Amino acid sequence: MEVSLMASSQANLRGTELCRDRDVLGFCCPNSDLNAQICYGKSKICFSKSIGWPKSPVRLAIKAVSQPEPVMSEKVSGETSTFCRRAKPADGVRLYVGLPLDSVSDCNAINHSRAIMAGLKALKLLGVDGVELPVFWGIAEKEAMGKYEWSGYLALAEMVQKVGLKLHVSLCFHTSKEAKIPLPKWVSDIGKSRPSIFFVDRSGQQYKECLSLAVDDIPVLDGKTPIQVYKEFCESFKNSFSPFMGSTITGISVGLGPDGELRYPSHHHQAKDNRIQGAGEFQCNDENMLNHLKQHAEKLGNPLWGLSGPHDAPRNDQSPLSNFFNENGGSWESPYGDFFLSWYSNLLISHGDRLLSLAASTFSDTSVTLSAKVPLVHSWYRTRSHPSELTAGYYNTVNRDGYEEVVEMFSRNSTKMILPGMDLSDENQPNESLSSPELLLAQITAACRKHNVEVSGQNLMISGSPRGFEQIKKNLSGENAVADLFTYQRMGASFFSPDHFPSFNAFVRSLDQPEVHSDDLPTIQEEAAEPSPGKNLQMQAA
Amino acid sequence: MATVAVDPLIHHYRRKTPRLSPKLTTAKQSSLNYTRRLLSRGATFCSFKSPLRLAVRAGSTEAALAETSESTDVVFDKTFSLKRTAKVEGKILIRLNSGKDDKKWQLTVGCSLPGKWVLHWGVNYVNDIGSEWDQPPLEMRPPDSITIKDYAIETPLKKSSMALGSDIFYEVKIDFNLNSSITAINFVLKDEDTGAWYQHRGRDFKVPLTDYLQDDGNVVGSKKGFGIWPGALGQLSNMLLNSEGAQYDGEDGTSDLREPTQQKRGLEGFYEEHSIIKESLIDSSVSVSVRRSPETTKNSLHIETDLPGDIVVHWGVCKDEGKRWEIPAEPYPAETIVFKSKAMRTLLQRKDGGPGACGCFTLDDEYVGFLFVLKLDEDTWLNYNGNDFYIPLSNSSGLHTRSRLVESEKNEQQDVLERVESGSLPIPEKTTEANQAGSAYTDEIISEIRNLVSGISSEKSRKTKSKEAQETILQEIEKLAAEAYSIFRTAIPTFSETAISEAEAEVLPVKICSGTGTGFEIVCQGFNWESHRSGKWYLELHKKAAELSSRGFTVVWLPPPTESISPEGYMPKDLYNLNSRYGSIDELKVLVTRFHEVGIKVLGDAVLNHRCAHHKNQNGIWNIFGGRLNWDDRAVVADDPHFQGRGNKSSGDNFHAAPNIDHSQDFVRKDIREWLCWLRNEIGYDGWRLDFVRGFWGGYVKEYIDASEPYFAVGEYWDSLSYTYGEMDHNQDAHRQRIIDWINATNGTAGAFDVTTKGILHSALERCEYWRLSDQKGKPPGVVGWWPSRAVTFIENHDTGSTQGHWRFPGGKEMQGYAYILTHPGTPSVFYDHAFSNYGSEISELISVRNRNKIHCRSTIQITKADRDVYAAMIDEKVAMKIGPGHYEPPSGPQKWSLATEGNDYKVWEAS
Repeated sequence: MEVSLMASSQANLRGTELCRDRDVLGFCCPNSDLNAQICYGKSKICFSKSIGWPKSPVRLAIKAVSQPEPVMSEKVSGETSTFCRRAKPADGVRLYVGLPLDSVSDCNAINHSRAIMAGLKALKLLGVDGVELPVFWGIAEKEAMGKYEWSGYLALAEMVQKVGLKLHVSLCFHTSKEAKIPLPKWVSDIGKSRPSIFFVDRSGQQYKECLSLAVDDIPVLDGKTPIQVYKEFCESFKNSFSPFMGSTITGISVGLGPDGELRYPSHHHQAKDNRIQGAGEFQCNDENMLNHLKQHAEKLGNPLWGLSGPHDAPRNDQSPLSNFFNENGGSWESPYGDFFLSWYSNLLISHGDRLLSLAASTFSDTSVTLSAKVPLVHSWYRTRSHPSELTAGYYNTVNRDGYEEVVEMFSRNSTKMILPGMDLSDENQPNESLSSPELLLAQITAACRKHNVEVSGQNLMISGSPRGFEQIKKNLSGENAVADLFTYQRMGASFFSPDHFPSFNAFVRSLDQPEVHSDDLPTIQEEAAEPSPGKNLQMQAA
Repeated sequence: MATVAVDPLIHHYRRKTPRLSPKLTTAKQSSLNYTRRLLSRGATFCSFKSPLRLAVRAGSTEAALAETSESTDVVFDKTFSLKRTAKVEGKILIRLNSGKDDKKWQLTVGCSLPGKWVLHWGVNYVNDIGSEWDQPPLEMRPPDSITIKDYAIETPLKKSSMALGSDIFYEVKIDFNLNSSITAINFVLKDEDTGAWYQHRGRDFKVPLTDYLQDDGNVVGSKKGFGIWPGALGQLSNMLLNSEGAQYDGEDGTSDLREPTQQKRGLEGFYEEHSIIKESLIDSSVSVSVRRSPETTKNSLHIETDLPGDIVVHWGVCKDEGKRWEIPAEPYPAETIVFKSKAMRTLLQRKDGGPGACGCFTLDDEYVGFLFVLKLDEDTWLNYNGNDFYIPLSNSSGLHTRSRLVESEKNEQQDVLERVESGSLPIPEKTTEANQAGSAYTDEIISEIRNLVSGISSEKSRKTKSKEAQETILQEIEKLAAEAYSIFRTAIPTFSETAISEAEAEVLPVKICSGTGTGFEIVCQGFNWESHRSGKWYLELHKKAAELSSRGFTVVWLPPPTESISPEGYMPKDLYNLNSRYGSIDELKVLVTRFHEVGIKVLGDAVLNHRCAHHKNQNGIWNIFGGRLNWDDRAVVADDPHFQGRGNKSSGDNFHAAPNIDHSQDFVRKDIREWLCWLRNEIGYDGWRLDFVRGFWGGYVKEYIDASEPYFAVGEYWDSLSYTYGEMDHNQDAHRQRIIDWINATNGTAGAFDVTTKGILHSALERCEYWRLSDQKGKPPGVVGWWPSRAVTFIENHDTGSTQGHWRFPGGKEMQGYAYILTHPGTPSVFYDHAFSNYGSEISELISVRNRNKIHCRSTIQITKADRDVYAAMIDEKVAMKIGPGHYEPPSGPQKWSLATEGNDYKVWEAS
């Protein structure tokens, strides 16, 4: 019976009243003690009387996913989603907003739950489709290996469900400096006795924000490999959230490295003053990486190449286009350079492959969409050597498309690609960094299109200026639309600040109502009931 | 339209108009409350937790059982009593008019419904602050008035000679003189028969008599309705009465009680009517019997009721204990329809000759239960205390069911009892109710808009409407965003981490222990006895954090954060509910974060001695706890007869107002340890101020401190000093020994407030007996003389001073007290009222002298003079001080002394 309509707060009494003319009264459901009052309720609550709208429609949308089954239909239920986000515009972008990184505290309580609730309601009213929730390893498996504590996240998922929004969950195997969320304590403890589980830069400094990809298959965590631990984490997540899977939770992304992105932490020692944008440094100085490099070099018959990373790669505070990355005659173009860069980037891709196939198999029996994030390393893009991308692990130069292989790997695992930085435009980049976010984005999305990998967009920073929104809109609408889902990062004080929220508001509404005035559009139901437009289907067919 | 949200309160009389948060002041909430209250009222007759959810009144049950045990094929027979609410609509009439001359006025309040009506009323005077009621002057009180405490009057309404139509009419007249300093008359109407209170939209009726009434949010309908009465006196035709609209509680203020206003002190008369609905309960019953036919193995169920009218049984069956509604196989009884393939609806057959109806249902053996509710008309349903009626059906396991039935009924009887009694004690429910109502507000709007939108979207001609709807939605979005912003914003750390760590690096590493902190701590008690009043103390204190830090305080002691029976927080109830009168848990977190930003450690006030119960035991004693720590009476000490605990005897003194917690129970200690750790992690508290530690053994405190690893902890061990013939003994060693013993029991993991020093300072300063400030061995006579590092010296706190004043420091001599404790060893604690008073700057001065000279809790002290009228001491050979009217100058020895600060009867010098 109408259990879903009821909860135990007073608010729902009214909710129940609202539906009285369409269905059984809520008091027939067994677990609310509010219901005794139904007989008095009606006369008190009047707007329901004056607004006797018919039942909300059930909307059908067809969502294309790159899962084994080509097209999946999803019932978007009528109760909650009949909002003002009217017809999906022709380009059918779904809009999500990220929840605060610290939504769940390390004691598994919801931080600022009132603010989040208000925020969720505002978003719902605005017509946003869903929210993104970062789920941190360091919180959910904080105490000990295998000891999961999902209560805070579950409570949050429930809040989201209650408001009627969708949920995209990001499984974060990294830390958040911003929100001061560490790795699980037991992992950090292991790291103290076993420093080699972390990346090390050339000066010997550890990067402790995520595990080194070189230990993926080494049983460093109390006899288990990180891959096993990640897998069990995903399993536990799946089981604990099974009531939400496929209904409220529609997407899951798996963190692949620093900040969840598939990359090396090449930029973590960015110079304090941002005047010189360094190219980052290769991160192959920990024991396991060096071992691996050594074996690889020996296998190829060049043992001398396997002793360390490029000795002449510039440091962060040096000009990036010097020595190794020298535009003309830098060793990046030499056979050694090719050897090293291939090895370095392949290692990253196979790391991504391991994690994504793990996730794909774990979540294969659910209907959620799987995705993972690739960084937009756009600085120095307008050079021949693309040094920033090289240090991050993308062997993308003037001679070679480094993203093709990455996209293929995503395609293999039926995983959607999340691309940040859709708010960046070339003209706002400092000239001297020769950067081009737009060109890079175009390169990656072209590869995605070629391999039928769908793209979700994100913004890099919260922008107060309408310009950022314009850029996002450019990426999301019209002929050049590159993404079918966009996650705006991220809810918090600045998001709701008077400087920002109105422009966001305007942005959302402009997405919804492109050029045509709503009065000129066909009615909402008709439009909504149509399968979503051709683009996706086309992609499926290709 | 006249709107009266009638709000029958079950409370005892009220002291003042409820202080509600601004959100709650809308009519909307009051009508929600209304429903809620009725709920609890209606529920008094049946509220069961038993799994079977059967049975109603104790009496009828037993009878039914006796009967069934004898019959062979009747497997179930029971009469449920039903309560229906009957509503009678009537009017409340309010008339204000002038008498014979301009100065004599009369307020008439009448009611058109029969009943024992009482006007519960009070007035506001010109200089009243806030919304509290006062008693009216004697000459204003009509005969037969009874005073209710010192703030209200109750006057019965009498049958009026002036009939209103054909109705009976009750009224009371209040005469008053316009020259009096009364600004408003407040009243509510009370029905003595039912005990129900009738208010105006959830608030008092307020009749303002002047136009300079302070609007503190408590003037009914002031926002919209405080307009000028359209038209002058005697416009009776303009009666605002609209019974339909009376129920409307829309947001935009169909607020229709127009307050009579006067412009420029020209009071205008008025006459208004408000519709009022009196509800009364009518008893009916429904009997259900089940017979089992052995041949067909079918159950036949018979329902009979004396309810009048067409009664529809809305029913289903279930196959297991889960009580999931299912539709049985056909055939169905006559007049049955399947309702949305979820339930069946059967119209009961009217009984011949007389009200009532009955019906018969034949059910297969496979079903274990029959579920139903009764539908009286489209809008009126009767169910079983919030649940469906559930009738167990006999099948193979019939016997088993029967025995459980009996058992469950026993429990139910208890519950009934409990519920009835709890009706008279509504306080505990209040806060949660308020919270819920708050969130209910936005939920409502959302659903409202949702309906609007879905409605609009379904209409073809939505051109204009959709624009309006969009406007509404946008406004609501803005509102929500602003709310979210205001909360998120306060949570942003605004300092640079690196700057702090550099500053810390300069400080030599100090050994921190929970008894002393760094040893250089200066505590500020961050609240007083009234801090709960505003409801947003955390926010208020937030603004003062930077100031406290700049004035040299290193620790702030915050008020008890838990849900509490008393607003001040010292009667905690649900320890994990940190929404208190001081603010919400989120606000608390923000505040703690803020203090951390400015480098101040935060002490939580942990009340561990006692805890208020949620429920009564079978004897009606409040000793069963709820919430996350749902202890039973084993958690209550056995030696306080008031609370009938089943724990061990108390390990300390008893606090008699609430159940004392038995800390000897392992489960209790485990829960407390976990709670303290939770507070540390979740809220970020750095340490504890432990309330009433006399109540339990210090060894337990040690355990708690070891578990929660606070940065600083201090216990309140307050008992009285020794007196002989009314005069305080010079020697207070016994007193300080008791405190020292307690500290010892904690193994020195906690300090204690130096009550001894405060007491001796009292005598010394008040009676000019400064010699008391040295003990026989020439040391300070308080705890600080014996174990300085564990002594937290203070001169006043929320109990001794503030508005309680249980043991107030001699007036005007506070600065001498601070000159003493802020220069002496021990850890000084400054009371909020002093820190933010005229003494503030002098106190800051003393703190800076202390910090400049690095005086800490273990500093050495040498008393240089303790005479009748002056006391002087030298601390760490760096600071010299004197208090008292007598003369003292520090001797010029190796140091050169320069005056650092001075004030009334005190001086402090620094060595240069």
